[in-house]
Amino acid sequence: MTQIAIHTEGLTKRFGDFTAVENLSLEVADGSVVSLLGPNGAGKTTTVRMLATLLRPDAGHARVGGYDVVTDAARVRELVSLTGQFAALDKNLTARENLVLMARLRGRNLRAARTLANQLVDRFDIRPFRDRLVKNLSGGEKRRVDLAAGLIDTPHVLVLDEPTTGLDPRSRQVVWSTIRQLVQDGVTLLLTTQYLEEADALADRVVLIDRGTQVAAGTPAQLKAQVGEQRVDIIAADSTSFDQLTDLLWERFEVNPAPEQRTISIPAPDEVADLARIAAIVDESGISVDEVALRRPTLDDAFLALTGHPAHEQTPEVEEVAVSRMTHAAPLQAGRVGSGSERGRSA
Amino acid sequence: MGFVRDTILLTGRSLRAVPRVPERLLDVTIQPIVFILLFLYVFGSAIHVPGVNYKDYLFPGIIAQSLAFGIIGAGVATSNDMTEGVVDRFRSMPISRLSIISGQVMGQFCEQVLGMIIVVAFGLALGWNPQLTFAHAVELFALMVLGMFAFTWAGVLFGMLVRSPDAMQGVGFIVILPLTFLAGTFVPIAGMDAIPRAIAQWDPISALVAAVRGLTTPGIHQGGSWQLDHPQLAMALWSVVLLAICVPLALRRFNRTLAA
Repeated sequence: MTQIAIHTEGLTKRFGDFTAVENLSLEVADGSVVSLLGPNGAGKTTTVRMLATLLRPDAGHARVGGYDVVTDAARVRELVSLTGQFAALDKNLTARENLVLMARLRGRNLRAARTLANQLVDRFDIRPFRDRLVKNLSGGEKRRVDLAAGLIDTPHVLVLDEPTTGLDPRSRQVVWSTIRQLVQDGVTLLLTTQYLEEADALADRVVLIDRGTQVAAGTPAQLKAQVGEQRVDIIAADSTSFDQLTDLLWERFEVNPAPEQRTISIPAPDEVADLARIAAIVDESGISVDEVALRRPTLDDAFLALTGHPAHEQTPEVEEVAVSRMTHAAPLQAGRVGSGSERGRSA
Repeated sequence: MGFVRDTILLTGRSLRAVPRVPERLLDVTIQPIVFILLFLYVFGSAIHVPGVNYKDYLFPGIIAQSLAFGIIGAGVATSNDMTEGVVDRFRSMPISRLSIISGQVMGQFCEQVLGMIIVVAFGLALGWNPQLTFAHAVELFALMVLGMFAFTWAGVLFGMLVRSPDAMQGVGFIVILPLTFLAGTFVPIAGMDAIPRAIAQWDPISALVAAVRGLTTPGIHQGGSWQLDHPQLAMALWSVVLLAICVPLALRRFNRTLAA
């Protein structure tokens, strides 16, 4: 029988009159990867903070490894490692010093801590900046150290809150491959993200969350079947060109015309190869077009397909301010780059 | 024991930041040094305290003032520190949660001590000559430690209450600075007008000033109220009261942010 690593039932959290999470029921099986997918302000961060015992739920239950997050919080803390969106590192210590401190707080003596820190430095490619103060590191570098710190004791359950938001593509790949390796080692992973492709790349199951509640769930394959895959979008220069294009292409491809936007969408399972073929044909025909581009489905596409309406993105500040009001953290810490800015990328 | 070990580790973490954020220590040292220079060399000629060399009168006052400013320093550092993401990590780790705040207090306390040493050294270098018997030295040391400990806890509590480190600085300047001036630090209380004198005779900083001065400068008598007649005892009492109020409040506040 598969053990259930994370189980929540009716989980609810309010900040004043703002309900961040409402009646959320989730399950993550041992050794599997579940992704919470949703826009900013959906309640992802609040949910994972409750699971890491940093916030107390107002209603409902949550159990991690069988232990209740409220009554057995200490046990839960031993099982869970949360790596949040903002690096939880001491900015006045170097990368390595941070790792040593965390290792010592987790029970290692000085020598063991140093050895472990060096191992993590190698594993996460931190060596080039290991002796630099965290406050002088770039976002991607901080995130890598942050991940390493969360993995001092290979946790039973790893929770990653938007692990690649704001990272450059190369750092993102490093993080993804590290995550994949961890999963291979048998770690249970709950990760939150705004990126469809991240959920697709890493998760066994995806739970779509919007305004604090679950709106859909399924495997990435099921998701894509409903949402559609990559497509090539051709935007004609004017309505005449649009008609010409439609005539040109409809026999050879499965075209989905959108006359109002003068756009023709063609599914592109072979991605770039399809793009090249279609572009060549369009080019040869001489029809004037504004754009020929390869587009990947976005979060909005997913929401539209699965719920019939786009995701309700809160301004990033709303959830932040609500959470900070209760914890009296300084709101809007510096370094919160990239939230929402990636949305425009593949739209 | 877990709590002790975790506290030591977290204190070490606070202390390692000291040389890397030198501005923090500057607050606790530059201010008293500037005041010393101002009052000694600029105002000093106009101030005359009967029966004593102004230098010997001033320095204990500055030291006590420095101690009182410890609230601001501890408050600002705490306000900055407790809102760092790393504290979240500590809170979600299986370490003694109490140690997070005790580590903060001990770290701040050590910084205060360091600042105090610098100020005292500066005073000695400028020619201050405290008359201390061995017994008095021990008493002074104990009182200062107790006082700094109490004021550090008060600072940590305020640091958790204020909205930002700037707010803490603001509070410091509006409340603590005038109080330190009133406390007989620079000029005798006896010479003040009725209202300031009444406040000064009872506020804790005056007890601080009188206590330090009483132990280091023989022949000084600054009476006028029970606490000024028995300043060392008053200072000890104030410290204990401060601790009795601030420690539980700070712990309660800390637990509340944990549970949120």
